[in-house]
Amino acid sequence: MRTEAIDPPGITWVRVSPKYVTVRLVQWALANLLSILVFCLPLVFVLLGWWRWPPLWLAITVPAVLLVAALWRLVLIPRQVRAIGYAERDDDLLVRTGIFFQRTMAVPYGRMQYVDIGVGPVERGLGLCTLKLHTASPGTNAHIPGLPAAEGARLREQLTARGEARLAGL
Amino acid sequence: MTERPSALDGAASLDGPAPLDGPAVEAADGAWLRVHPASPFVRGWVALAAIAFFFGRDIFERTLQGRPMFEGNFAARAPWLIAGGGIVLVIAVLGFVLTWYFTKYQVSGGYVRVNSGFVFRQQRQARLDRVQAIDIVQPLLARIFGLAELKFEVADAGESAVRLAYLKVDQARQLRATILARAAGVTVGPDTPDAEAPEAPEHQVLSVAPPRLIGSLLLSEQSFFVLLGGVGAVVLSAVTDNRGFYFYLIPAALGLAASYWSLFNKGYNFTAAISPDGIRLRYGLLDTQAQTLPPGRIQALKISQPPLWRIFGWYRIQLNVAGYGAVEGAGGNSARTTLLPVGKKADAMAMLALVLPDPGTSEPDVVFGAGLAGLDSDGGFVTTPRGARLLAPLGWRRNAYAATDTALLIRSGRWWRALVVVPHQRTQSMALHQGPLARRFGVADLVLHTTAGPVAPRLYQAGLEQARTLFNDQSARARLARKRQTTEQWLREVAPPGSSVAAAAHSGPEHPSLPPQEGHPHG
Repeated sequence: MRTEAIDPPGITWVRVSPKYVTVRLVQWALANLLSILVFCLPLVFVLLGWWRWPPLWLAITVPAVLLVAALWRLVLIPRQVRAIGYAERDDDLLVRTGIFFQRTMAVPYGRMQYVDIGVGPVERGLGLCTLKLHTASPGTNAHIPGLPAAEGARLREQLTARGEARLAGL
Repeated sequence: MTERPSALDGAASLDGPAPLDGPAVEAADGAWLRVHPASPFVRGWVALAAIAFFFGRDIFERTLQGRPMFEGNFAARAPWLIAGGGIVLVIAVLGFVLTWYFTKYQVSGGYVRVNSGFVFRQQRQARLDRVQAIDIVQPLLARIFGLAELKFEVADAGESAVRLAYLKVDQARQLRATILARAAGVTVGPDTPDAEAPEAPEHQVLSVAPPRLIGSLLLSEQSFFVLLGGVGAVVLSAVTDNRGFYFYLIPAALGLAASYWSLFNKGYNFTAAISPDGIRLRYGLLDTQAQTLPPGRIQALKISQPPLWRIFGWYRIQLNVAGYGAVEGAGGNSARTTLLPVGKKADAMAMLALVLPDPGTSEPDVVFGAGLAGLDSDGGFVTTPRGARLLAPLGWRRNAYAATDTALLIRSGRWWRALVVVPHQRTQSMALHQGPLARRFGVADLVLHTTAGPVAPRLYQAGLEQARTLFNDQSARARLARKRQTTEQWLREVAPPGSSVAAAAHSGPEHPSLPPQEGHPHG
């Protein structure tokens, strides 16, 4: 995995499972297709001559723009999934996401309050899980999606053990 | 760290004798006590008023309309009405009394415990050494009766861990002193286990005079927008020749008056004092509040200066404390997270010295002064690189960071000046952010995550190289600071436990870490 400019040097990132693309595709379909269908309704009504108001160009433009945006997001999904990575360092866990808006986060083991593992229906089918880290700060929005279940369980145990060893007061 | 096994549902607590039923099961060093009998009525007067309103409204309206006060067939309905009203009243009062009867609290061992509820019983216990803050709140009605509410905060932004409403004022103060003394690790002598801890002596640091408070409100950012809106409305009216815009001003003015009043009421007579227990803040005109922040509980703070305050050189300090949580709206809870509503630079520095006893630099005035008002690299700050000045044409000379041995300083804002201070051992986690535009200019933002509150530390547009270095260095500094913290605790653990109340009352605020809890005999 390529190291981006904001990543600390000398890190070998662990990538999440490529199967996570499927999960994102399902999410994408649920979120976008329905809304595009709804916005296509005026076009249908105008073409059938039932509605007068939205002029034809507007009725075409709105769903078209939505469709292009949705397709753009669709194209990005595999790259976004490839951009998710994590690395266990001696004292903290690094999590990175994003291609355009990149984020590299460091969560010290001693600061973790608890670790969650969540599994959605699609993820369960693919044998994946999502790991969430919680510190005392609501700003720590650290989750690693698309982990293989075994890796997720290993990571959770590992993080918990390291957290206990380095636990600090608030 | 929250330690809050709530809803044990009537089960006995994990240690200590079982206080299941009956008030007289004596715990080892803390009896089960009840809050003041009048408290349900002080708390529930709204419900009583609602009942009175419900039954009184009809009669009142009839009187206003000039009709006879009672209908003709009233005599037939009267018994039902009275019976109905009586039943509602009895149920309400019974509910109050039962709630009061079943609410009991105890301070014992290292815990404060509260049992409540008679249908769904709840037993809650909070570790004393996890205390993040203790507040004594007196709403107006409670103040008239000489009562006060005690709020005990642990690190959970949701709600107060323990709320005791209401106690007598002296009792509340005594309880606060006891809790703080126990939390600080003061062991009372074995011969007098029930001895009550004396209240720690305090030393007043500063107070805010009412004229300055009023001035600060008039010159606040809120007033700035009010003025802007007012001018806008008048101009619109003049241009469109439509008087209607004036009418929009009336509700706006009413809302504003309420908001200003609330700020004035909350900020009136603000006093800050230091005691071995921590920082004491007192304020309020009608509703008074006394906050105690034990040493080392402040997660992050922000010193800010709206543009108009620059005329008088005033500053405001807001802070994040783990138990207080986020602020709902400017007028709502914001007083609780304000360390200094308004003050000169010297006041701000004095408060800063309380919060951060060790500034971690040999010349704090220069460094923090540069953080408050400086530009460019004075005071050792590192700014946004010149190449990225197009991203922040005004702010690039202000956007900067500096690290002392104990805290990270982040300053920003050319007009809306702000300086954020985060002690190294309080950093939770951190992240580097970079969008496409920032990448083009070779800069990145560094976000430090802290507990919920008004301060959100973010270093804007630092040069990529500096940001990356800072990201690594800050991780290392936070790690070291955490280690130092545990070392200090360890030192206290091996110290002889014979410290008396008086000795602890003089162990100043420079030993802020959590005292050892396990060293105390539980019962």
